[in-house]
Formats: sequence, C-alpha cells, structure tokens
Amino acid sequence: MFYVIGLGLADEKDITVRGLEAVRSCRRLYLEAYTSMLLVPKEQLEAFYGTKLIVADRDMVETESDAILEGAKDVDVGFLVVGDPFGATTHTDLLLRARALGVPSRVIHNASIMNAIGACGLQLYNFGQAVSLVFFTENWKPDSYYDRIKENSELGLHTLVLLDIKVKEQSEENLARGRKIYEPPRYMSIPLAVDQLLYTETQRQQRVLSAKETLAIGMSRVGSSKQRIVAGTLEELQGAGDIFGPPLHSLVIVGKRLHPLEVDYAEESAINKAEWRRVAQQVYGCRLDE
Amino acid sequence: MVNFTVDQIRALMDKPTNIRNMSVIAHVDHGKSTLTDSLVSKAGIIAAKNAGDVRFTDTRDDEKERGITIKSTAISMYFEVDKEEVSAIKQKTDGNEFLINLIDSPGHVDFSSEVTAALRVTDGALVVVDCVEGVCVQTETVLRQALTERIKPVVIINKVDRALLELQVSKEDLFQSFSRTIESVNVIIATYNDEALGDVQVAPEKGTVAFGSGLHGWAFTLRQFAARYSKKFGVDKDKMMAKLWGDNFFNPATKKWTTKGTTDDGKTLERAFNMFILDPIFKIFKATMDFQKDQLFSMLEKLDVKLLPDERDLEGKALLKVAMRKFLPAGDSLLDMIVIHLPSPQTAQRYRVETLYEGPMDDESAIGIRDCDPKAPLVLYVSKMVPTSDKGRFYAFGRVFSGTVKAGPKIRIQGPNYVPGKKDDLFVKSVQRTVLMMGRYVEPIEDCPAGNIVGLVGVDQFLLKSGTLTSSETAHNMKVMKFSVSPVVRVAVEVKNAADLPKLVEGLKRLTKSDPCVQAWIEETGEHIVAGAGELHLEICLKDLEEDHAGVPLKKSDPVVGYCETVQTESSMVALSKSQNKHNRLYAKASPLEEELSKDIESGKITPRDDFKIRARVLADEYGWDVTDARKIWCFGPDTTGPNLLVDVTKGVQYLNEIKDSCVAAFQWATKEGVCAEEKMRGVRVNILDVTLHTDAIHRGGGQIIPTCRRVTYAACLLAQPGLQEPVYLVEIQCPENGIGGIYSVLNRRRGQVFSEEQRPGTPMFTVKAYLPVMESFGFNADLRQATSGQAFPQSVFDHWELMSGSPLDKGSKIEELVKSIRTRKGLKPDIPTLDMYYDKL
Repeated sequence: MFYVIGLGLADEKDITVRGLEAVRSCRRLYLEAYTSMLLVPKEQLEAFYGTKLIVADRDMVETESDAILEGAKDVDVGFLVVGDPFGATTHTDLLLRARALGVPSRVIHNASIMNAIGACGLQLYNFGQAVSLVFFTENWKPDSYYDRIKENSELGLHTLVLLDIKVKEQSEENLARGRKIYEPPRYMSIPLAVDQLLYTETQRQQRVLSAKETLAIGMSRVGSSKQRIVAGTLEELQGAGDIFGPPLHSLVIVGKRLHPLEVDYAEESAINKAEWRRVAQQVYGCRLDE
Repeated sequence: MVNFTVDQIRALMDKPTNIRNMSVIAHVDHGKSTLTDSLVSKAGIIAAKNAGDVRFTDTRDDEKERGITIKSTAISMYFEVDKEEVSAIKQKTDGNEFLINLIDSPGHVDFSSEVTAALRVTDGALVVVDCVEGVCVQTETVLRQALTERIKPVVIINKVDRALLELQVSKEDLFQSFSRTIESVNVIIATYNDEALGDVQVAPEKGTVAFGSGLHGWAFTLRQFAARYSKKFGVDKDKMMAKLWGDNFFNPATKKWTTKGTTDDGKTLERAFNMFILDPIFKIFKATMDFQKDQLFSMLEKLDVKLLPDERDLEGKALLKVAMRKFLPAGDSLLDMIVIHLPSPQTAQRYRVETLYEGPMDDESAIGIRDCDPKAPLVLYVSKMVPTSDKGRFYAFGRVFSGTVKAGPKIRIQGPNYVPGKKDDLFVKSVQRTVLMMGRYVEPIEDCPAGNIVGLVGVDQFLLKSGTLTSSETAHNMKVMKFSVSPVVRVAVEVKNAADLPKLVEGLKRLTKSDPCVQAWIEETGEHIVAGAGELHLEICLKDLEEDHAGVPLKKSDPVVGYCETVQTESSMVALSKSQNKHNRLYAKASPLEEELSKDIESGKITPRDDFKIRARVLADEYGWDVTDARKIWCFGPDTTGPNLLVDVTKGVQYLNEIKDSCVAAFQWATKEGVCAEEKMRGVRVNILDVTLHTDAIHRGGGQIIPTCRRVTYAACLLAQPGLQEPVYLVEIQCPENGIGGIYSVLNRRRGQVFSEEQRPGTPMFTVKAYLPVMESFGFNADLRQATSGQAFPQSVFDHWELMSGSPLDKGSKIEELVKSIRTRKGLKPDIPTLDMYYDKL
C-alpha cells in the first residue's frame, strides 16, 4: 500500500491517529520537503514516530518516483506531506504514477493552510481562487495572479495568497547546465509580498489593490502555538516589519463581501483598530455596530 | 632632438579643429612601420638618418626579431604646415600648427583585432599599398573595417624604389601599375562606402594618393609637384594637379596641353605624369646607380636640393637615399596629405556619432560627442589595454569623444554588458593619472579634452578589455567593437609545476586584458584554454603568457579547432519536453537559418538591439520570413547576440510572457553548448510551437521551465539532422610561377580548394587563393615553405564556416568519430545523447 499522509501544519503532534498508525506500519517513509515545511526539524518527527525518514526533495519526487514507489505493492510505503495531500501542494502526479504501476494507494487527510486560514476570522465560504506569489527577480515579475485577485474581488471574495518558499533551488546558470548546486533557502515575508502586490498594481493600474484602502490579514506559522495574526490595510502590513516573526507567512486579501462579524473578529488582531473599522465601514460599506 | 615640447602638444589638444587622429593600416609587409618612421623622424623624435631602419613603433623585442608589428602603438606629433597650404584645407582650421595622433597597427591578419581597436579611436587612415604586390587580402579587410567605422582613407603607394631598382620598369608601365592599384582600392571603397562619409574615392589629382618609399624616406603627392610647376606654367595649383595625372599630355613643341596621346602629325607625346614627375625621379635613380655623380649633382642643383659635403661623399644606394630624401621628404608630403585631407575630430565626430554611440541622438552625451565639446559630460572609449612597465598593470588606451578627462573626479566605468539604469558591469572610480602615449615612452599630462587619444592609469582593474568611461548618469555605452577575426584556434595549457597554478590563472587574466581578441577560459574538465585568431597569434600569446604574464614554465597541448553545431533540415516531428513537475509542456521544432542571415548576425548587421519592427521588415524582405514570426523573435543566442534564434510562433497562449525569460536563459546555455559535442551552435532557428502551462506562477518558475526549454531545444535539434560546421581560412599565397606546383600539392594534402590563380600584371608573381580548413592549417606555413623552397608567402584569414558532410548521428561515420573525440577531450561520455533523453512522450 502506498500511503500519502498529511502531517498538518505545525509540529510532529499534528498528525492524525490514523496517520500515525499508517506511519508505524510503513517499511519506508519519505518526507516531502519542498512545497512547504513543518516548523520543527526532521529529527523531532523521527523521535516521535520512532522511525527513520528519507527526505524527498523536488528532484527526487519529480524524477525518481519509481524509486519511491518501488515495492509498494507488497509492503507499505509512506509519503509524508506537510498540510493536506490535496491541499496547497499538488501530488496528483505521484498518485497517477502509482495507479499506472498498479500500486494501491490511500490518502490520509489533515489540516491545510487552505482551511486553517479560517483562524483569521474570515469565513471559508467567502474565499475565491487561491494564488501563489513568487519571488520577483530583476527580469521575471509574473503578474497573472493579479487577474485572479481581480476576478475574486469582482465577486467580493477573499483571496488567499500563498507566499513563495525556495528550498533547494538552483541558480539559472546551474539549472541550464544541469548542475545540482543549490542556493540557500529563502521564504517570502508578508512585507515583501505586499511590496510585490503594490508593484504589480502600479504596473497594471486596474484599481484592484490600494495601499490605504485594501484590507488584508497577514498570518504567520498558522496552527502552531506561536501563530500570529495581524490585520490592517496593505500599507500598515507593509510597514509592520518584524512583527510577523520567522516563516512561514501567508496573506489574505479581504474581499468586499465582508460580514460585520468578520470585521469584529479580526479587529482583535488589527494594528490600528480605528483605521480597520473606518476602512471596513467607509470603503467596504460594512454596517458595523457603533 | 625632439623639436617640440609636451606643452606645445598640450596647447594644441584644446583646438579640435587642428587635431588629426589617424591610423596606418596595410597588408603585412607593405611597409607601415618603416613609413611611420619617416613621419616620426619629421616630428624629430628619431634622427633622420636612422629613419627606415629603426621601426620606432615596434616596441617589443619579438617585433624587432620577426620584423613584423604585433601590437598597435600610438604616438603624438606636432606638425606645422606651410602657411600657404592652409587654404587647401577644406574644413575649419585655426592657425597652421597641428597635432597628429598616429597609430601604427599590425598587418598580419592574426592581429587584425588590434587594427579594429586602432580604427575606433581615429578618424582617418593612411592605407599603405606595396606597389609591386598591389592590393592584397588584408588591404581589403582593413579598408573595409575602416569604412564601416566611417574612417576616411588616404593612400600611399609604397616601395616605389623596388619597382625602379629590382623590376626596372618603364615610366609608362609604372604609371599603369599605379593606376591599376588605385583602381582596385577604389573598387573596395565603392563596395563598402557609407553615404554619411561622403565621396571618399582616392585620386592622385585630388592629392589623396601619395607615392614613395618608406625605406628610403621619400614620398610625394601631386601637390608638391604642382607647387613647383604652377609658377613655371602660370597655372593655378589645383588645375596643375589635375593636369599631372591621367590622360593629360604636354606638347613641348607647341607648348600646349592636350588630352590625346599623339599629336596631329602622328608623334607620340609623353604623359604629363611621366614627363614632369617620373622623369626627374628616374634620372636621379639612373645617375646615382650608374655612378654619374656630376650629373646627379647638377640635376639636384636645378631642383634646388642641397647636399652637405659629407653626404656628397656617399655612394650608391646611400647617396640615392639622401638625394631622394632631400628632394622629396616623405614626412612633409605625407603629413601635408594627412592634415589637408583627413578630417579633424570636430569634423568627423559629427557624422561618426550615430555609429559610435548606442543611446538616443539627442541626449547630453550624444550632443557632446557630436560637437566634440570639451565642456560637455565626459564620454571616453577605452579600446585596448597597453601593458605598463609595472608588471600586471595596464594603461587604458582610448579616445575622449566628449568632455575632458583628468585625475581626481569620480567617473562611471561602464563595461560592455552595462545596461543603462542597471548596476551590472558598472564601477564608479577615479582616474589616477592621464598620459600621452609616445611609442615606447609616455608623457604625463594634466588633463585631456575631447578629440584626443589618451592613456589612463588606475582604471585597468575595472575593465576587461574595453569599455566606456563617462561622467553622465544617463550615458549609454559606446558601441562594442566588432572584430573581423574570431578566436577559432585553441590550445590547452597547464603548468609544469603544480605550485605555479595561481600564477597561471593570474597570467591568463593579464593576457586576456592585453589583447583585444584572445580568449581564455576554464573547461568543465578543469583545463585552461587559450583561444586565438590563428597559429601565429596563439604562438605570440602563449609566449607572452609563459615569459611575461604568468612567468612560469607551461605545457601546451596541440592546437585544436572550435566547431559549430547546426541542423540541416526541419525537425522531422514536433519535439515535446515536459517539466519535472509534469505541469508544463513545451512543443518546438528546429530548422536551419539562412547562411546569409547567420553571417549578417555575426557581422552585426542584424542585432538584438535593432528596433523589432524594422528588423522584421528586413527579415521578411531579404530572407522571406513571415512578418508576424519575425516580430516575435524572443532572443539571439549564445551570449544574446549569436547566430541562433528562438522564435515564438504560438497562437493565443496564456501566461506565455511569464515564461519568456526562463526560455531566453535556457536558450543561451543550449546554444552555447550544443547537443552533440557541447560546441556552440550556429545557424539554428528554434520555433516554440505551443505550450501547456500551470495557471499558478509558482509551478512554472525558472526551476521548471529552464531545464525543459533546454531539453526541448536539444530534442528539436536531434530531430533535425544535426550537423557540424568547421572554420575555413581564405589563404592568399604569392609565389613565382615555379612554386605553383608545390602550392597545389600541399593544398591537396590538406583538403584545400584553389578558387583563383592570377598573375600580377607586370610582375613574375602569381597570386593563388584557396579555402583551407583551419583544422588542416597547423604547420601549413612551414610545409608550404618547404614545398616551394621558401618562395611562397601565405596569408590566412578566417573566411567562413563550412558545413561538413554527413551527420554525427550516422553510426560509424567520420563525423561521429570527430564528435566522439571532442566529447572525450571535454571529459564527457563519448556517446552522443539519444533522443529519449530529451524527448518526452505524451
């Protein structure tokens, strides 16, 4: 059996009971370590599960799937994914290949950023398409996500913005030459993400985002005990500096279909509560209790 | 005895109307350096009696030993024109004192990158042509280079003494030979003429052609003779000049001028040129060589030439030399010609600015260059590096086009890869000192205004070979020089003692700096490779490296040739590659690029910096491209300028512009290291036909797209019958008739193809032209000398890339063997990668 097991968001104890049972039954365990990451080191997981883990980087998952699936017909092989197997990360290809090899597979779900984001007080029902924001380079500033945010905002929906992480990435030269030399890991922070969003707005100028009039909620290390939620206008978040702490960071852009309850709940985390209420009322047209 | 001071020169530098920046260019051995001596002797730097023997501008020991020039050398001279002649100068002038900045450049083709560097900083060129050998391959090359840089030429037909002493030709034959040579020069000028430069055809009657002997130190233009005769005939000097050339005859009986060679009563008349110019010269030669000194002295007296008592005691050639030099001093006539006919920086920069400057023509730098304004922002182009006596340091040698350069203020040093507004390849530093280059000496000067050639101290470590120095924040670069030679011959070098390795690495850095053309790099295998234009160039470079730059004993491999990978048909099917995460797919086909188009890209006629609409028009009109395709050229490669194109021919694909940069990056590397042998690619067009992309940018970043695009390029090439191109030299061999047989047998053994064999009229010399693969050229010169008992003199210049027959994919073919040997040398697996390594099935 090939198990794809969701690990949840924060640490080793987020695994489900069913997941833990599956882990204990597996002969081989792979830890996928490039689409997201847990907030604890691999050794802590190993100590808790009582088995060794093989770290599977992008290259291994994408090019050596056969090695991962080897023998999975007869013994149990586990593939551990941070969050939910079908959440923000995409491992359909691996399951397709398992199917092609005739390996039976089973997925064990867990919490994902896709649902844990509800912690900020916005209702999951009112979220639109999720987008990823990649690190801009000097020459590469993809902005197609802007159209997605625009579509969401036209319907009044919130947008979950996932922020780029670069673990074991190669430089352009090394990529082109096929050399496996990796750059140090990088994680995008909320202020940088806001910089990029506002940069795209200046390029596209379709009034989807505004520094002073768009509300957003920044969340860091969701699901852990050190979780942080900070609400405010884009400008406030941009200037909030170190308040978010270490990675991982995510961002929600608040849509116009804003419920008074959502405003009240998130107000608790607002940088400037008065400003939060003012924008919600005047710009978003939300009727709040006085 | 120096008859001018640095202060005098410095004062003239402020008068851009009275400066002439000129280079001396020619085929090898046509006598440039020797001729330069007579100019230098005129300026008083070397004693007149040594002129012709010293070669002042050959500063290196090996230059003296071999008797050839290797590096170009600059020298500044002060010259006063006869006040009467000032009126002949058809451009703005201020007084009769002139500053002449002269650059003597090498004639051997292997060093023609030195010529390119010299031409860039000058506005005029003195083209030296041997009167016996006539216009040769390198004469054409350098003349073409000069014209494309918008450099105005004047010509001197040199070694006239040889024609008189060795060949004993008649006056009329000599005239005919002169006019043939001038005609061939004009044919070349007409071919490469640039309208902006105006009419630059040369003609003796206009005073733009001189005749003379550098060795003997004499030369003349028709102007000198016209000056003598105009008084006698009472004719205006310019009219007199016209009468002294071509079909103009003087009938001594009637004392009338005519254009017919015979009189009405059937008597043959002598051509005015022969009668008034050649006759006295022939007589002096005859009188001297026949030891009739009395006759000579009386003749000289008539010509108003006075010899000193001890000079009168000389005999034979020594006497001839003195007499001719006093009669027609080369320095005066050539400098006259240079001052009158070559443009001043102020004149030249007005029309050169468009070809020199990359930025818009209305920014402050362009205007400063156009007006040659010393008060405008500084724009200085460094064309080469000249080693100083301080080991490992260099003078940056270049020309101030705008503003004034001096020690102290911070300036921007922009390398060739600098892009305005970005910070790559940019340093902000100050110049430590400015110097005047004087052949083997330098003279410090305080500052240097626009229009002058200068050496800079203290910026060498910020520039690789060339670059732009400016004080303007907005200045673009000066255009990068295009060399007519490419470094096609390579050797691997290694140190004999492992401990010397750091010295080798440092030495290679210095070597690349000191020569405009040489390249050095480290292969994946760790080998240090040095590439040069030819065997001789490489030999000189390695000698410099071993003895000077690195200073450690070296082991050198046999020379090897660089090949180019190409394709011979369109891909037999659409190539498909998937990204690692399987979310993205690229579909592409490769096809050969038109050979002419590849050449135009290599020569810089079609460049990535062109306006894309204009470029598309040219591609459509001249190469039959579809205009819409031609507008969607994503990039050139390798190095973003090479002769391979990546073209987007997709229809209505979303997010395509977001992967463009990744594809461009991939294409650079793919074309730099082709699929078969990791040699650079040439003449390949890759069409991106279709793409499937993930909607979210995070799943189609460079990490996914770059390897995929590289793989699809390789797959498309493997499907398009890959081929190999080898570099081919054009060899020009001069030889007497009895050597021809030897030439043919040597060429046959080396896959050479003769395409022209001509006798040079009036001489027993034959000129054979042939194509010779560079691969077969190693040891060719020695082989040829042996086969012709040393009578044949070959000149090889890189001419074109030739497609080799067959494909590396043909099992057991010669070409497969060749590719395998290249792969083995590079430390790769010997087998050529197969299609399934790059092609993904759906």
